[in-house]
Amino acid sequence: MNEQNPAEPQRREFFKQIGAAGVVAFSARDEARLDKLVADGAMDAPQDDLNWQKAPCRFCGTGCGVMVGCKDGKVMAVRGDEASPVNRGLLCVKGYHLPAMLYGEDRLTHPQLRDGDGWKQISWDEALDLIAEKFSSTLEENGPESVAVYGSGQWGVHDGYAALKWVKGGMRSNNLDPNARLCMASAVMGFMTQFQSDEPMGCYEDLEAAEDFVLWGNNMAEMHPVLFSRMLENKRLNPGVRIVDIGTRRTPTSEYADMYMEIKPGSDLALANGVLHLLLKKKQIDRSFINENVVFKRGIEDLDEIGYGCYGENAEKYTFKDKASDSSLEELETFLADYSPEKVAEITGLQAAQIEALATMYGDQGRNTLSLWCMGVNQHTRGTWMNNLITDLHLITGKISRPGNNPFSLTGQPSACGTAREVGTLSNRLPADMVVMNAEHRATAEKIWGLEAGTINPKPGYHAVDMFRALSRGDIKAMWIQVTNPWVSMPNLNRFKRSPGDGRFIVVSDIYPTPTTDVADLILPSAGWVEREGVFGNTERRTQQWQKLAEPPGEAKEDAWQIMEVAKRMGMGNLFPWPEDDWHEAMFEEYRSFGLGIGKDLASYKELRETRGMIWPVVDGRETRYRYAAGFDPYVKKSKGVHFYKAKGYGEKAAFWLRPYHPPAEVPDDDYPFWLCTGRVLEQWHTGSMTRRIKQLHQATPTAYVEINRADATRLGIKSGDRVRLKSRRGELVLPAAVDGRGKPPAGSVFVPFFDESLLINDLTLDAMDCISKEPDYKKCAVQVAKA
Amino acid sequence: MKLLARASLVLICLLAACSDEAVSEDLKISVPEVVGAYKSTASVRADRRLFDGAPPVMPHDNFGANCISCHNRQGMSVPGIGFAPPPPHSNTAPPSAMSRCQQCHIAALSEDLFRENSFVGLRQDLRKGERQNSLAPPVIPHQVLLRENCAACHTGPAAREEIRCSHPERLRCAQCHLQQRSASEFMR
Repeated sequence: MNEQNPAEPQRREFFKQIGAAGVVAFSARDEARLDKLVADGAMDAPQDDLNWQKAPCRFCGTGCGVMVGCKDGKVMAVRGDEASPVNRGLLCVKGYHLPAMLYGEDRLTHPQLRDGDGWKQISWDEALDLIAEKFSSTLEENGPESVAVYGSGQWGVHDGYAALKWVKGGMRSNNLDPNARLCMASAVMGFMTQFQSDEPMGCYEDLEAAEDFVLWGNNMAEMHPVLFSRMLENKRLNPGVRIVDIGTRRTPTSEYADMYMEIKPGSDLALANGVLHLLLKKKQIDRSFINENVVFKRGIEDLDEIGYGCYGENAEKYTFKDKASDSSLEELETFLADYSPEKVAEITGLQAAQIEALATMYGDQGRNTLSLWCMGVNQHTRGTWMNNLITDLHLITGKISRPGNNPFSLTGQPSACGTAREVGTLSNRLPADMVVMNAEHRATAEKIWGLEAGTINPKPGYHAVDMFRALSRGDIKAMWIQVTNPWVSMPNLNRFKRSPGDGRFIVVSDIYPTPTTDVADLILPSAGWVEREGVFGNTERRTQQWQKLAEPPGEAKEDAWQIMEVAKRMGMGNLFPWPEDDWHEAMFEEYRSFGLGIGKDLASYKELRETRGMIWPVVDGRETRYRYAAGFDPYVKKSKGVHFYKAKGYGEKAAFWLRPYHPPAEVPDDDYPFWLCTGRVLEQWHTGSMTRRIKQLHQATPTAYVEINRADATRLGIKSGDRVRLKSRRGELVLPAAVDGRGKPPAGSVFVPFFDESLLINDLTLDAMDCISKEPDYKKCAVQVAKA
Repeated sequence: MKLLARASLVLICLLAACSDEAVSEDLKISVPEVVGAYKSTASVRADRRLFDGAPPVMPHDNFGANCISCHNRQGMSVPGIGFAPPPPHSNTAPPSAMSRCQQCHIAALSEDLFRENSFVGLRQDLRKGERQNSLAPPVIPHQVLLRENCAACHTGPAAREEIRCSHPERLRCAQCHLQQRSASEFMR
């Protein structure tokens, strides 16, 4: 019998279980049906005896809650967490395919040291000793500016905090910067220059409370799909909801927009000023709000003085520093004279009527207006300015810190807010919005860390792009890279090509081999996502904790552990005084003490364990959905209105910045006639090292491609699928064309996603940077396009 | 009729596109090719999902963006391809939270793998749906979120034998069938 029907034992087992459960419901017909099921293979299924626990999704900054189903130390399923206030049970395709991310067959499982052209497996002790020795000797011979750690907005809070403490408190260096510099540094500087405190004031409930949504250069349908669907649900329930999509190409987001405004690259600065111009002209500003809550500021505006930071122009370092001077509403009126609808129409390529329509939305006090943005605004040579201008629109109309009325910056990475911004793993920062340049801030950190006064170095370190320039020059001699893939993601990548044996020592911690591990000297295998305990902070200031749920493969270890072990070997064990098997809570509570009582209060570790995350500031166990708002924020002492209590330098008011239009760093000309914009796609997470190893996601987007306008394609004789050669002043690349694909660029413009490590579009991109945040502009450079 | 015309147009485009070497022909239509056939088996169902609970990939090419023209509330028989089942989600007409189908459902453009993957996912388990006694209605053994339209899977031409409902005329399923949310029991 068994030989004839291999499924028979399962069948018997099934009846046994039915019996055991006391459930008797099967008729002869059921039994016949069952035979068919067995033949189909459906009965191979185990009972759902998985252990289901909460965790945040590993991918984007939305921070969806997932329930993770594990068995025998492995993740077998996820589902959207219906109890999570972020996503209420819904996920996107990356989230649904999340568990396979851990099980690519080429997971890194052991430390490996470069050995000629190959690699040799070494023990953790050997690896950690080697790193400690290399960093110690480099420090001794070349000082703290010669070592660097390049981290990530995908670091958990513990990893970032361990790195910060080791680099700034141990090695006395400030060469610590995350890939988040490439992603949301402009948003940080936007909030810092206006509120002297980072991160948005609103929360995701804005998506239900708003009536007019203005998306500034933001393909939300693909990059923040779950938030996009919350917005669409609002529109279903409230048909009066309007969505405006401002972009440089049509994307899946545009399909759902009530108004699509196609602007010329970089002209968003002019558009925002044009809207301000009309608001003032039509007197649609909130004077009493301005008098009570706003000061006016102006910075350096001279294009020649500011520059763009590209290689060769400002040479090796880009260190422009803005200088603020006082301004006024009257001066603003004069300043905006240049931005009449006709003039702005010329710069942006829009119709004047469209600009008027947008101004009407911001000016209408009867409707709630939410501005949303992400990389289009942040990866911009004047990204901080553009962040300022969007917030200006809300300050001048008083549409801020109220449900449905906010400037809401969306974050790219799962803990760009929680780790990069809040822990402060940037070259100039310390936890809770503090900076190394400020003596009081340094003293606070030294006190919490139990260090001697004067330990922390007051000179900021290299920001990300300059860090890699310094590595190329040889000024940085030892570098540790964790949770990121710079040899795919840096702009103007050709400048950073490296051959091992150049006298530098590069350690890379990751879960898979990447082009970055390919050029490393030492590779460390990391534990990923729920293979370790951790904390992420999402876009809406929600801190989310998860427990270790699965076993890492081989000898893989979590990133924070790797750093602490090296620190101990360098004689800096005093920085990490916790027991080896129980340190997560103690470390978090120490970190948390930085923000208590100053409006940056994180929830306790215990509260985080028990909830689906909490939105800071958390005071007396209560979260704050709307910062600076009376009735919501416990730090606001007023009975109504708003109070920007963190902006001590502006008299506890918010700063409105006058910011002009500047053209992009490189504009198409006769030699390089096309705009090139780069970005992400729904199915792939950043450089694809995790998502490409998931069959379904890879097969949906198997290679990078170039989106090209149909008119251009026809003129150049290019059909979808044809090979197209793109060439910029920095590099060239051949890749398949997509005509009328998911994105539709206008004539004279092409788009390429950056996830594909074998088709590196960053060989072509320009390393121009935002003048204040030093975030590179991946969205605008000039290329030639030809059929290959 | 208009829709049928549209579908045949899609087919013509599809045949034209089949000359593209990069895309294998059987990926284009992996639903049964026999006219009138429409049911998938449990194993085909499983093949289209990374694990039980993951959204199915499209078993056919991404025929443009307007999925609900075929996958409408009743489902639709598309000559030469098969039956396009109705979506089980509550509101799929745009705008709504579930109207952007591609947020979760993607189509394969290639059969290649980037790297091998050894993930073993949860399989569908049909040994659930407990009854309190032989006459009692079974509980709903799965998450109801995104499966609010019971009829989509349990009735109609696409319903698989093993989960087919014997009484589709009774429209309010939740009157008798409850979602099993927890294994814990009430204790006083």
